[in-house]
Amino acid sequence: MTTAEQAATLPAEPDGIKWRHVMVRVGQIGLGLVFLWLWKWGANSAGESYIADPFKVWDRLIEIARTGELARHTYVTLRISAIGFAIGCAAGVVLPFALRRMPRLTDAIEPYIMASVGVPKYALIPLFILWFGINDAPKLWLIGLLVFYPVFISVFAGIRSVDGRLLDIARVLGASESRISVEVIWHAMLPFFFSGLKISVPRAVSAAIIAEFLVGFEGIGFYIENARQQMDVTGAFVGIAVAIALVLVMNALLVWIDKRLSAWRPMDRHMEL
Amino acid sequence: MAALLEVRNLSKRFASRAGREPSPWIIRDLSFSVADGEFLTIVGPSGGGKTTLLNMIAQIDTASGGEIVFQSKSAPLGDKTSLKPGLNCQIGYVTQEDNLLPWRTCLENVLFPLMAQGRLNDETRAHAQSLIRAVGLEGWEKHYPHELSGGMRKRTSLIRTLVYDPPVILMDEPFGAVDAQTRVQLQEDLLRLWNLGRKTIVFVTHDITEAIALADRTLVLTRQPSSVAGEHIITIPRPRDIRDILTHPEFVDLYRRIRAQVQ
Ligand SMILES: Nc1ncnc2c1ncn2[C@@H]1O[C@H](COP(=O)(O)OP(=O)(O)OP(=O)(O)O)[C@@H](O)[C@H]1O
Ligand SMILES: [Mg+2]
Repeated sequence: MTTAEQAATLPAEPDGIKWRHVMVRVGQIGLGLVFLWLWKWGANSAGESYIADPFKVWDRLIEIARTGELARHTYVTLRISAIGFAIGCAAGVVLPFALRRMPRLTDAIEPYIMASVGVPKYALIPLFILWFGINDAPKLWLIGLLVFYPVFISVFAGIRSVDGRLLDIARVLGASESRISVEVIWHAMLPFFFSGLKISVPRAVSAAIIAEFLVGFEGIGFYIENARQQMDVTGAFVGIAVAIALVLVMNALLVWIDKRLSAWRPMDRHMEL
Repeated sequence: MAALLEVRNLSKRFASRAGREPSPWIIRDLSFSVADGEFLTIVGPSGGGKTTLLNMIAQIDTASGGEIVFQSKSAPLGDKTSLKPGLNCQIGYVTQEDNLLPWRTCLENVLFPLMAQGRLNDETRAHAQSLIRAVGLEGWEKHYPHELSGGMRKRTSLIRTLVYDPPVILMDEPFGAVDAQTRVQLQEDLLRLWNLGRKTIVFVTHDITEAIALADRTLVLTRQPSSVAGEHIITIPRPRDIRDILTHPEFVDLYRRIRAQVQ
């Protein structure tokens, strides 16, 4: 057995930290119960035509899950957000990497990109419908744009933050510029990229839902808007709950991928809780 | 012996920041040459510009004046984009900081230059393994740099350069962060490797004993702005026993003369 192996077999977690894990769990569940109670109290005092009763929301959820309605609408929204997300994300990563090799072009177009961040994207929906018709295209444009900006800005900042000495040494060691992109810059900018992604995921889902308010006859957005038109407050709440669940699942997936890609990073126990 | 590398009237000052007084000369009119296969050590005061000098020779930093001639070709030193870091892997550089890639394990860091140069095969892999064994990093191959000690990182960065066998190697205090025992061990290993391949080595150190023990010739630099304060041919015969070098009669004399020049 080498010293390294011996070190790895030592007990790593003292009891105190395990206890803290338990306490945090208890606290989380407690907060959840408080939230549920507040919701129920709100529904009772405001009336069910404004705030749906949480238990009725749950019953409806079970019901549409049984009829297959839930799966159909969720699939439609998930599909469109995922495609739009992939497009926006790809553009947001590829562009800064391409610009890295063209510093003068970067300096020229950077102010324009930064200015275009300020354009209210939702305000463009009517134009997108006018240009691309009533189909998936305007939805994808909207989602793609909303995902693109946070990803672009964070990846751009990530590339700028790379330690110049690492780049110099990689060059001395014989790495070509494209290898440096893959082996050095990619890894160094990953934390930035993921913080951009965490902003983008809920954006993609909200953009899909808003687009569905306006275009099409399927999806969670359609379900919410349809429920509103029928004065079905419970239905609207169900739609919102599904949307939240969708974002949470996608975020969890993201965190999982992030952890796998950055296994090398020194881990902080307190942040691992 | 023919000069492989020649530094002529080299000068360097860094660009000054807006709102500060013009930055001082770090290196002024520095000239020396290195012969093919020579082991040159450089000692000088801290902050004297030794790292800056090696950066310019490795072509990762620009010069403000003078020239650096390598294999009778003058390097374009004015403009950062026309530099050729490492001159197509002909000049290896073990930097003062280890500069390991933090997301690569010890072994992956050592293999990095081989992979980057498209020379990764069973033979070079085995060579990398033997170097890891030689510097006592066996068992730590799968550890990430932040899980290694400072000295282990230093050794990793040292063999990351040795593994691809560049004809010239610049070393910036490579043994600064290791204990005295390991240090002597590494010095002996380095001498052995150098004897086998007869590379050209430019070795910067603070330690006068080390400078004498390893070198064919020792260059002493002045304070900033640095230039050559003195040059000493080390005639102690090789192979040398580093553990016994302190008792060598020539050593004592050299040590005294060099220390008088290092201010
Ligand atoms: N990028 C930089 N910009 C401005 N000044 C710098 C820069 N790098 C180094 N210097 C200055 O150059 C001088 C020499 O630095 P250098 O790192 O070359 O010294 P050194 O001889 O290697 O010292 P040490 O033995 O402590 O490593 C120092 O005064 C330092 O402040
Ligand atoms: Mg230095």
